[in-house]
Amino acid sequence: MFELLVSSIPLAIVASIPLLLAVEGELVVQRSGMINLGIEGMMLTAAMTAVLVAQTTHSLALGFAGGVAGALAIAALFGVLAITLRADQIVTGTAINLLALGGTSFIYREVQSLVQQVPQLRTDAVLPLAWLAIPLVLGAILWNSSFGLRLRACGENPEAVAATGRSVANYRWITLAIEALLVGIAGAYLALALSNGFAENMTAGRGFIALSIVIFGRWSIKGALLGTAIFGLTAAMQYALQAANRGIPFHLLLALPYVVTLLILCGVAGRVRAPENLGVRRR
Amino acid sequence: MSRVLSAVLAAVAALLLLAITAALFGHSPLALLSILVRSSVGSRFALEGTLLKSVPLLLTGLSVVIAFRAGVWNIGGEGQFIVGALAALVASRFGAIASLLAAMLAGAAWASIASAMRLWRNAPEVLTTILLNFTAIHLLGWSVNGPLREHAAQYPQTDLAAATLPPLASGVHSGVLLALAASVAVWWMLYRTMEGLRLRATGFNPFAARWAGIRVGSQLARAMAISGAVAGLAGGIELLGVTHRLFERFAAGYGYSGIAVALLAQLHPLATIASAFFFGALVTGAGELQRTADISAGVATFGQAVVILMLIVMDHVRTAR
Repeated sequence: MFELLVSSIPLAIVASIPLLLAVEGELVVQRSGMINLGIEGMMLTAAMTAVLVAQTTHSLALGFAGGVAGALAIAALFGVLAITLRADQIVTGTAINLLALGGTSFIYREVQSLVQQVPQLRTDAVLPLAWLAIPLVLGAILWNSSFGLRLRACGENPEAVAATGRSVANYRWITLAIEALLVGIAGAYLALALSNGFAENMTAGRGFIALSIVIFGRWSIKGALLGTAIFGLTAAMQYALQAANRGIPFHLLLALPYVVTLLILCGVAGRVRAPENLGVRRR
Repeated sequence: MSRVLSAVLAAVAALLLLAITAALFGHSPLALLSILVRSSVGSRFALEGTLLKSVPLLLTGLSVVIAFRAGVWNIGGEGQFIVGALAALVASRFGAIASLLAAMLAGAAWASIASAMRLWRNAPEVLTTILLNFTAIHLLGWSVNGPLREHAAQYPQTDLAAATLPPLASGVHSGVLLALAASVAVWWMLYRTMEGLRLRATGFNPFAARWAGIRVGSQLARAMAISGAVAGLAGGIELLGVTHRLFERFAAGYGYSGIAVALLAQLHPLATIASAFFFGALVTGAGELQRTADISAGVATFGQAVVILMLIVMDHVRTAR
């Protein structure tokens, strides 16, 4: 069992990159007081736009840019509804997930005739970015700058931020843009590096798992890294177990990541304190 | 603007947007709309197809109505639908009634996992119910490949259920009547019983409800259980009335679609009947689009999303003044 664990570490680090980026993005958004359940649809959309752009331009870099553009479009939709129109965030997120699920399957079928070889990422610059650079930068912004202080205040007490003459909406728009950037890269990485192109519903709940890990990590960067590492290891062990063929049915192994996430949510969520105004509709 | 008007406008706007989107990809929007209408309500056969699709949608819609009215985010209709069908299959040897009761119990139990996690560990049900959906999908995959696999062991599917719902006059099964009865029952429960009053009060303002002496925690747990039972019933009826056996893609998104059905009905149990019929027609029409016009049946899901987004905008317009 121990050997299995150790041998799973390299796979765990690479395979959980999209998840980690999503966790980091959602953490920033939730710190500003919003829950973006539509992150699942955002990543799915990014995966598709990344593949389409990479195929037509034969450029990986443009593919990643395409992923970010797709994620930004979804973020804009979420922002208009949840920030500008002050709609319920859960309902908005759910609608966005359905939109992305149906929309990507429709569009991908439409353009299937254009499908060519997808360029695939070989050298991995995203790995140190996701595991090192972004956590450091986000940590510095959120906890060591006055901008980050006000951003977190939007999550704790938006009225206080508004009272200082600053716009809560602006801060929330900025966090959505940060999330779109990270999730866009996540979707592109998922499709262009970890898989061989786009497949219907290929995100398979990663967005929801990311939301759970944000809670598990108690809205801190360290917690986010730890949660992703734990989850990534169990998910990688699931592959190792499949390969080792120890007689555990394949389909039950497939359910394992979700069960682990449920346990993670229960085990540590306990009585943690979320940002005071998380998900609250402003009047 | 009245709630009915905004719902109708949202539905019409969604259809128009679908047509426009298809036009962007070089399909004729008029042809698309005509296929949609013809294949869903254009003939007796089409109407039967729509009716069959409306039954699970009506029940998963009612499940969401109950949960959202109580302020519980049950996004787990898909999983409750699946475990309901699994239980119905196992219990089908005891007859259709026992089978459907088992479906309701299983749906309620599956949903109650999320309640338990909420009450004891403070895990948000919006996430746990979704994660339970994925778990149920793989549980179903395991069942049809493993313990419940057909005796011929040829395909990943189960044997035929031992019970079926008796058919009505035409090709439609009697589950239609059950679903209609369920919407009246839910209406009666919500508006004519103390339980319904407490449930709605809790959803309206949990703090006020607590001051009024309602035990909010157990009220939420009961609402979640009832909601899960109705979604489980949907799975049982779909099994006994339509598919008669289980396979991996059995649920086909009915659970998630229930959210759109409930929101279009403005969370009213009787309006849910009309809403379920509309989406049933959309799903049926989308299936025909995929067969004849080579347009992904995913447009039905897309349409559901657009309806919800339109409703959000309408809601804003309605309350902004």
